[in-house]
Amino acid sequence: MRVLVTGAAAGLGREIASQLVAGGAHVTAVDRSEIDPLEGLEPRKVDLADREAVDRMLRELEDEPPFDWVIHNAGISATGKFERIPDDAYLRLLRVNCETPMLMTAGLISSGRVAAGGRIVFISSLSHFTGYPGGAVYGASKDVLAVYAKSIRPTLKRRQIRVTTVFPGPIRTDHASRHAPPDAQAERRMDPADLAARIIRATRRGKTVLYPGLTARMGRLLGGIVPGRMTAFMRRVIFEKLERDVY
Amino acid sequence: MDPRPIVLITGATAGIGLALAQRLAGTHRLVLCGRRAGSEYPDELPDGALYIQADFKDPLGAVEAIETALDEAGIEALHRVVINAGTGYYGSVESERPDTIRETLDVNLTAPIVLARHMAPFLEKVRGKLVLIGSVAHRGAANMPTYAASKAGLAGFARSLESEWQDRTAVQIIHPGPTATEMHEKAGYDAGKLRRLFFSAAGMADEIALLMDGSKKTATVSFGARLRRLVGKRSS
Repeated sequence: MRVLVTGAAAGLGREIASQLVAGGAHVTAVDRSEIDPLEGLEPRKVDLADREAVDRMLRELEDEPPFDWVIHNAGISATGKFERIPDDAYLRLLRVNCETPMLMTAGLISSGRVAAGGRIVFISSLSHFTGYPGGAVYGASKDVLAVYAKSIRPTLKRRQIRVTTVFPGPIRTDHASRHAPPDAQAERRMDPADLAARIIRATRRGKTVLYPGLTARMGRLLGGIVPGRMTAFMRRVIFEKLERDVY
Repeated sequence: MDPRPIVLITGATAGIGLALAQRLAGTHRLVLCGRRAGSEYPDELPDGALYIQADFKDPLGAVEAIETALDEAGIEALHRVVINAGTGYYGSVESERPDTIRETLDVNLTAPIVLARHMAPFLEKVRGKLVLIGSVAHRGAANMPTYAASKAGLAGFARSLESEWQDRTAVQIIHPGPTATEMHEKAGYDAGKLRRLFFSAAGMADEIALLMDGSKKTATVSFGARLRRLVGKRSS
């Protein structure tokens, strides 16, 4: 089985890649950072915010055999007061989190680089159901992914390709802790190894959506029933406690 | 000094934006933004408006042009900023091309975010209101995935920003339903007979103008409102 995983150098992406490799898959691991070598892992150093580099990668992938799974995991954030974060950080965030995964999906599909019976996975966020004051553009980027996935799902289903959207709550990674308020409790966040295993399982089954764990299921439920209150809750626990801008 | 409130409208040379400019012309001072050069803008543009050429395909360049023009005109506060400019292409996932995906996201999402950021001080000065024009497609559309996704992003952005700015500046998002503008042809879609059910641009502008004065954070103008107008509550 051939899998492409973006953002595979660290955090959740690294966990997904190493679990897949352990299960015998060949993984093309894309990241802008150096990727620690691992048997079965083929590193590909690409800055996913760099339009030319992304175009080049897509052209090169056209000459390779199709992928069975494509996991769009790469994501960056920007937290703090909306207007205090510079334009460039937002431009970069929107490219990495939205533009590149959408472009890669359209490109890989139109060049037949996703095999029949294949899977495409998008990592959205629980914030899709709650709003994210203090991370307004990050939240928006995850809404983009959720609705893009939903929009392309029926078309791809006719081509025997399943689209899975994951809506994780807080994860215990270095990336997530950098963006969390100072009083956030790391032990209450989901372990990335556990999350990676759940994502792989859901992808194998061709599940449409995955709300991993109790927090995600509760958040989704309450966000559906009392969306305004959930956004206000997010404001209290995140926006009002952020002491610095991180981007 | 002109005592009327000042409204800035993007995408104001055609469609809903132009109709909204015409609707607000008497009661507001107008700052209108469009892609075309000043010499080419349509005659229908209301007299006395300040016109700014700004192409949102280049979000940073467009916003810089707007800031410079506001500065030169001595405008320090805006009562309403209506981010209406939008673009889209019709076609399912395999037919979407890199350049149209980039353009759609830049115009419909990145530019509004950057513009909102730079207009924040203008709005805050007079406790103004940021009005984002979304789309009923924000819940998903198989034949316009990138367009739908960009509008979903705008809706999510509006929700979080409304919360962040709650004590300072109002944020509202309005999702128009199908409207008879040039956008559908530009996007490569022929609505055929369905078009008769569409809102006129003027009718949609009316609905938006009314909503802008209300306190709803999010509103959809679709077939319900169209029906109300058809049965006689036509206000203009």
